[in-house]
Amino acid sequence: MSTARLTKSGAGALRHVVLAVASIAFVFPLAWIILSSVKTGAELANNPLDVLPDEFTLANYRRVLEDLGFLQNLRNSVLIAVVATAVTIVLSTLAAYGIVRFFPRFGQRLTRVLIATYMFPPILLAVPYAAIMVKLGLINTYAGLILAYLSFALPYAIWMLVGFYQTVPLEIEEGAQMDGAGKVRIFWQIATPIVLPGIVATAVYTFINTFNEFLYALLFINSTDRMPVAVALYSLTGSEVLDWGAMMAASVLVVVPSVLFFMSIQKYIAGGLAEGSVK
Amino acid sequence: MTALAEQRPALAPSGGPAPTRPSVWARLTRIDKVGVAFVLPSAVAVLGLLIYPVLSSVYYSLTDQNLLRPSHDLVWLENFRQLVTSDAFWNAFATSIRWTAASIVGQLAVGMVLALCLDKVRRLQGLYRVLLIVPWAFPPIVIAFGWKWILNDVYGVLPNLLTRLGLTDSNVSLLANPTTVFWTVLAINVWFGAPLFMVNILSALKTIPREQYEAATMDGANAWQQFSFITLRNIRNVIGLLVILRTIWVFNNFDLLFLLTGGGPGEMTTTLPIFAYRTGWGLHQLGMASAVTVLLLVFLLVASRVAFAVLSRWEKEDR
Repeated sequence: MSTARLTKSGAGALRHVVLAVASIAFVFPLAWIILSSVKTGAELANNPLDVLPDEFTLANYRRVLEDLGFLQNLRNSVLIAVVATAVTIVLSTLAAYGIVRFFPRFGQRLTRVLIATYMFPPILLAVPYAAIMVKLGLINTYAGLILAYLSFALPYAIWMLVGFYQTVPLEIEEGAQMDGAGKVRIFWQIATPIVLPGIVATAVYTFINTFNEFLYALLFINSTDRMPVAVALYSLTGSEVLDWGAMMAASVLVVVPSVLFFMSIQKYIAGGLAEGSVK
Repeated sequence: MTALAEQRPALAPSGGPAPTRPSVWARLTRIDKVGVAFVLPSAVAVLGLLIYPVLSSVYYSLTDQNLLRPSHDLVWLENFRQLVTSDAFWNAFATSIRWTAASIVGQLAVGMVLALCLDKVRRLQGLYRVLLIVPWAFPPIVIAFGWKWILNDVYGVLPNLLTRLGLTDSNVSLLANPTTVFWTVLAINVWFGAPLFMVNILSALKTIPREQYEAATMDGANAWQQFSFITLRNIRNVIGLLVILRTIWVFNNFDLLFLLTGGGPGEMTTTLPIFAYRTGWGLHQLGMASAVTVLLLVFLLVASRVAFAVLSRWEKEDR
């Protein structure tokens, strides 16, 4: 084998080493959380270096779901995230289509505008929201939290969907117009079905973000039975003796749906950022 | 607010420098009413949920608004005067800058190396991609508690491993120790943010025409020259935009540090958002907290203005 080919295969092997080491390092925390969640309390305390559980147990999950009432928190999170996502998708599909078809010049500036709202620190909005919600009696309500979530979900969803609606060929819509379809019908029956994968990706992304949100939930919800999972998990740390097994089981319940969802849509989000915004 | 200023012309186009300016009424009636109906709900929501709160934050920052009492008095610039003369504020500002700059450099470096490796690898590429994206999908709460568990100084796997390997005499508490806490949270943030850089840099790499490399090889360019003149040159716009967006995100982020360290030990990891939270919800001083967040936004607006100017110059050069 020539020297050039040797260096080449050496570089190839080095790449595999880098990627394999990184893959292990990147996945390790998730793997460790899952493994810890099925170990007994005694094993967690006495053998911290054990990789595989000596005795597989679901006791941590039972404790989280039954004793700590985590099921109610999961329900809260799902309810809040579903409503916030539904409102976001309805408003943002209308807005995105309206911008692309009726105000195209506006669409060019939109990237800048939405990046400007991206700049608003969540903590900046939290202060006036706190004052407003106290005044309107929205503290500790689902509605108040959902409104707060729209502040970050809506701009991002519009931004993503403008990119998707821009890909719909104008000729298809013009054809439908000649056949006598109205503007609303063209939106609903022609354009929207074409961008449906994009809408699904946007919805999943919005759902994950609202499901995982922490700051607003911490500030605006204070009763245990209305708490979403993120804050409920945080409030577990307040108890005197930290039950790490239960914490890890709860973490698995929170993270696994997100990981699965995220993997299913990662290519849409990444593509959108690289292509849509540099223009 | 730039957002507001840029939004108006679209909802009611001002016509621009047209030779014959139609009357306001004529221009208004020319706007597509169906189009307005499409955009109006979102426009109202954005105004009510983003623009109005930002403006009222600016107003609150001039008052002594308190979380526990409804009324407030205008104190004008008193909050700002107190902030710029307080060590705690400047400490939080410096921590924010250090934390953000180090995080972005680390995330970019790791993301870049992984993307370059992935781009050239054929076997197992799909598997690596899926595995390397995992941290990105973590909610901050799970990142924080997962790592706190791994780093726990009694039961955690990492401190026990370090002791077993003889690297430390006894188990260390990396998150509670003032000399290690910054590097520990930094490493966690790099771990968390690198996948996003990797995925985006990878898709940018795929757009570089192969002929450029072939031509460079024929001209005798070495690997480093090819990397800097072709690879970096082609993807610098994507990298620039990523750096701007992630800088804003890390600078504004509250959850990760708050959940990992609570801003401590002492004020070692108190960034501006955590400082604002403590002022508003710890001390109940909403007016003062608003002043902090307004300064935060002003700083970001100025910094990103500069960054976008650089980016648009690059774009012009590319044309």
